[in-house]
Amino acid sequence: MSSDPAGTIYDIQGFSVQDGPGIRTTVFLKGCPLRCPWCHSPESRRFDIQLSWQSRRCIGTAVCGLCLVSCPRGAIVPAEGSQSTDTEDGLQLIRVDWDTCDDCGLCAAECPAGALSMWGKRYTVSEVVDRALRDRPFFEKSGGGVTISGGEPLSQAEFTLALLRALKENGLHTALDTTGFAPWAVVEKALPHVDLFLLDLKNMDGRAHNAAVGVPNQPILENARGIAAAGGKMQIRIPVIPRFNDSGGNLRALGKFVAELGEAVTLVQLLPYHALGVPKWERIKHDGPILEATAPSDKKIGELKAILEEYSLTIQVH
Amino acid sequence: MQKLGPVTARIAQMRELVRDRVIAVDAERALNITESYRKNLLVPPIIKRATATYDVCSKMTCRVEEFELIVGNLGTSFLGSGVQPENGFAWFYEEFDGGKLWVRDENGVYHRDDMGTKLSITEEEKDKLYSIRDFWKGRTVSDHMDSWYPDGYEEWCAIGASSYFPGMPIGDLPSGHLTAGYPKIIDVGYAAIRKQAEDWVDAHKGNLMGADVERYMFYKSAILACDAATAMIRGYARACHQKAQGCPEAARRAELQKMGDGLVWISEKPARTFWEAVQATVMYQLLLYMDARYPALAFGRFDQYTWPFLKADLEAGRITMDQAHEIVDAFLLKANCFYRAAPPFLNEIVGVGNTYQHTTIGGVDPDTGEDASNPVTYMVLDSMGRLLLHDPTISIRIHRNTPEDLWERAIEMTKLVGGLPLFQNDEVIIPALVERGFELRDARDYSLIGCQEIVGSGNDYPAPNGTLCKATIHYGVILDMALNNGTNPFNGRSGALKTGYLYDMQSFDEVKAAMKAQVEYFLGWLVTMNNYSEHIAMRESPHAALSISIEGCMESGKDCVCGGAKYNSFGGTATGLATVADSLTTIKYMVFDKKLCTARELYDAYMANWEGHEPLRRRILNDVPHFGNNDPYADEQMKWICDVYYNACGRMHSERSRIYKAGLYGAADHVAQGAHTWATPDGRRTGEPLADAASPAQGRDLHGPTSVFNSELCFDHRHFLDGIALNLKIHPTALRGAEGAAKLRDVTKAYFDGGGMEVQYNVVSADDMRAAQKDPAAYHNLVVRIAGYSAYFVELSTRMQNDIISRTENVL
Repeated sequence: MSSDPAGTIYDIQGFSVQDGPGIRTTVFLKGCPLRCPWCHSPESRRFDIQLSWQSRRCIGTAVCGLCLVSCPRGAIVPAEGSQSTDTEDGLQLIRVDWDTCDDCGLCAAECPAGALSMWGKRYTVSEVVDRALRDRPFFEKSGGGVTISGGEPLSQAEFTLALLRALKENGLHTALDTTGFAPWAVVEKALPHVDLFLLDLKNMDGRAHNAAVGVPNQPILENARGIAAAGGKMQIRIPVIPRFNDSGGNLRALGKFVAELGEAVTLVQLLPYHALGVPKWERIKHDGPILEATAPSDKKIGELKAILEEYSLTIQVH
Repeated sequence: MQKLGPVTARIAQMRELVRDRVIAVDAERALNITESYRKNLLVPPIIKRATATYDVCSKMTCRVEEFELIVGNLGTSFLGSGVQPENGFAWFYEEFDGGKLWVRDENGVYHRDDMGTKLSITEEEKDKLYSIRDFWKGRTVSDHMDSWYPDGYEEWCAIGASSYFPGMPIGDLPSGHLTAGYPKIIDVGYAAIRKQAEDWVDAHKGNLMGADVERYMFYKSAILACDAATAMIRGYARACHQKAQGCPEAARRAELQKMGDGLVWISEKPARTFWEAVQATVMYQLLLYMDARYPALAFGRFDQYTWPFLKADLEAGRITMDQAHEIVDAFLLKANCFYRAAPPFLNEIVGVGNTYQHTTIGGVDPDTGEDASNPVTYMVLDSMGRLLLHDPTISIRIHRNTPEDLWERAIEMTKLVGGLPLFQNDEVIIPALVERGFELRDARDYSLIGCQEIVGSGNDYPAPNGTLCKATIHYGVILDMALNNGTNPFNGRSGALKTGYLYDMQSFDEVKAAMKAQVEYFLGWLVTMNNYSEHIAMRESPHAALSISIEGCMESGKDCVCGGAKYNSFGGTATGLATVADSLTTIKYMVFDKKLCTARELYDAYMANWEGHEPLRRRILNDVPHFGNNDPYADEQMKWICDVYYNACGRMHSERSRIYKAGLYGAADHVAQGAHTWATPDGRRTGEPLADAASPAQGRDLHGPTSVFNSELCFDHRHFLDGIALNLKIHPTALRGAEGAAKLRDVTKAYFDGGGMEVQYNVVSADDMRAAQKDPAAYHNLVVRIAGYSAYFVELSTRMQNDIISRTENVL
């Protein structure tokens, strides 16, 4: 193992106030084994660095056009028809032929406007720690720290474990925002360095879970029990997805399961589905079905919250 | 969180009137002062001015409305304004002669509402103002300064890189940016101040030796000022008593009678009750407004000087907390009535819809250094919140022991009205004031005025915008000139200092040397003109009504304009230095370090206002590190330019003051300056706003408030005693619930622990604002803040609205 391993990160966000206690810096790791159609960070799914195309930033081929000549595979071409002038200024835009593109990044390096850019960048552990330490006074004042999120951070196990260790060595509070889908051996290694797990639980029906997100829920539930048994602390996060997991029956099953985890669970958060991720899909190569739904009503969320409260849990709606 | 209580019906009624205000301009004050001056044409100015103030105050219309419990009006109407021809009033006639700004309606009333603050004037009042036009020609304070100039001024001013513009009067506003001695007026009273003056005058009758003549005239002017106050306040007493006679309702009749009795009392004597203290504060403010058009007269530490009265009232069972709170409501609404007719160029610079009566709350006790917050502190916050007022500007002084409850209430107010209060850090400001010669007790008693400026309370003549409100040179223009051999690309005008062309500069050090030389050259000129006009102002425009309350003046027998105050300073501001810093970083990164383009290519591109060079401009916006992202590469240049500016200020001084303060604030001036600043190397286009005050350039801080804070701490905030404005827009989602509020408190605390002087939070979403642009009526209550001032969003110009929207949102 390298002494300063590198990982692929797609964003580092300061003043993160909704991913764990206090003021935090959240490090978003790229790559996820799950394929949730409602994913609001579709750029986090693939493990490799990938191209992003944002028409709103393009300044048009008339004054620029650098990308057209930069692509060795001819994957960038002038857009035609309704997509050719996406902006109010009537610029001639480009189109990315996603089937031809191999995410080599040559066009993004040429693009002066940031319209073509790369999702994902390699960072070493020490680079991330340096960045986080700049905000130490804000962490200390607020009881905050660093949250490692994704993607699924445990999928980049070596990097994540090294990062967690380094953060703890610097005396920072650590939170790990995870789908819980990882080998127990990895979770077990992370445990001593994680002050708080932010663990997603979606559906207690294993078949429905597998059908929707592509992996079974059994390892996730096992890991949750394992963390509890080992004395870890968890916030359980339940995304509320219309027609997938918003039935009373599922919430009861979740409530029962979470209640059985006992004092390990400090808080249960309901995360109502929102459509803010949908426009991001337009920017990247599609790799699965996309859910576009109406956000659950406050009334509906209130009902689900009431169900969970029957299990004597502390519930917070985000 | 405590729920804000409801307001009384009469407060709600006044709130509606204030919100929909149209300021009715009238000629009463102008005619009275003209008549007075006609009679005393050759009387020495110090006596002539004080006599005129007496004449104005003793003849003015005094009124009281059905719903009022605090009285005082600037004009003959409830929401009116007199005008001040004596300093310079040409703008009014120019506006009418120009025929564009004022529109006559079917009732013969003229309206001007293009600039947010709505003004009206009747045909009759307009004609009266025209009747005195000729009298004032050659007789205004500014005329005395504009009849002759130091050599080279006209050429320098034509460059268009400062607050001085060709043809513009240089002395049309007195300094006015200060905190007058309200506690002295309340605690001592006019009769005692008058007696002090009279005793000196009596003792020196027929025996004026040496400098006694100056003192004699000062004390005579002080007597006139006290008499003016007494006459005016008695006028309001009569109005209350008369109203009481005709009042059918017993309780209100008794109240009006009591108000009248109280006014009679405070017309000479110290206040006895909380109501009297608040009313005496407003009456003194009105006296000053009748005396001259001082801009930015701040109320100082209102919670400190009124609380002892409330405490005594409560202990004696004379008042309930609800009644006291209604008085605070009425005070703040009365402050909102004090809008004055002003020319549009002022609105453009300072923003519209703000009376600049900055009010300071919280902080420490001057004697003990312990927390000084009290129930009035909380009432002010709650009143602003429950009335949804954006004015007066409220600063809350924060220190190590600020109570958690007060933090909570202050953040609650931020959430309700957006941008208020301003958070000011005692732990930085007090030691810095001591370093600058303030006694510790006075340093602990500081207050805020105008946008952000830090001043002593009732003991300081601080002239923080220069002595005649010409505060600044325009750093964007100066940068352009530094790189263009001393020629302003916006208008082709050249200064005397030639610093070469960017494309001939062989190193980044040469670039910086050029900038430094131009900053020193322009600042020297700015202060030269300040010192020339101040020299004239000392003779032509003493301020007796102010001097009676400012510590040092009555003691020394010297007007505050002439240096009589205990503390003297002057200063100015540099808004938008982040634009300069980002431009320097761009040159360093693109030309010298990464060699992505040549100096010639960069120069040609921005000299062409980027036309035909959009890819290069975008490359700069996207690739070059910018100030505000906690990137040392970019922050280094911000620190450098802040230091250059601060060090240049250190060499400036005047006849009255050794201290010239540097500041990083600027209300809306970054928009006005940007409008006549050519493109800059950072990718900014010609006409676009500069960065706002001390904030990062719009839309270029991409990593949230903690990164902005870390960047801001790259320079020493103690150097900027004229004040710092850091405007951070926070998305409402960052503030949800008690937890969100606590996080805002904690992020502020950490910034202040690190040496941050000031911050204000604007809690609105860009979507809200876009919606407000489309449907102003539905968003009438949407309040936003731009460094040092706030306003109703829908009252701003479209350009300013767009500027606010373009600021980075701290999206989560």
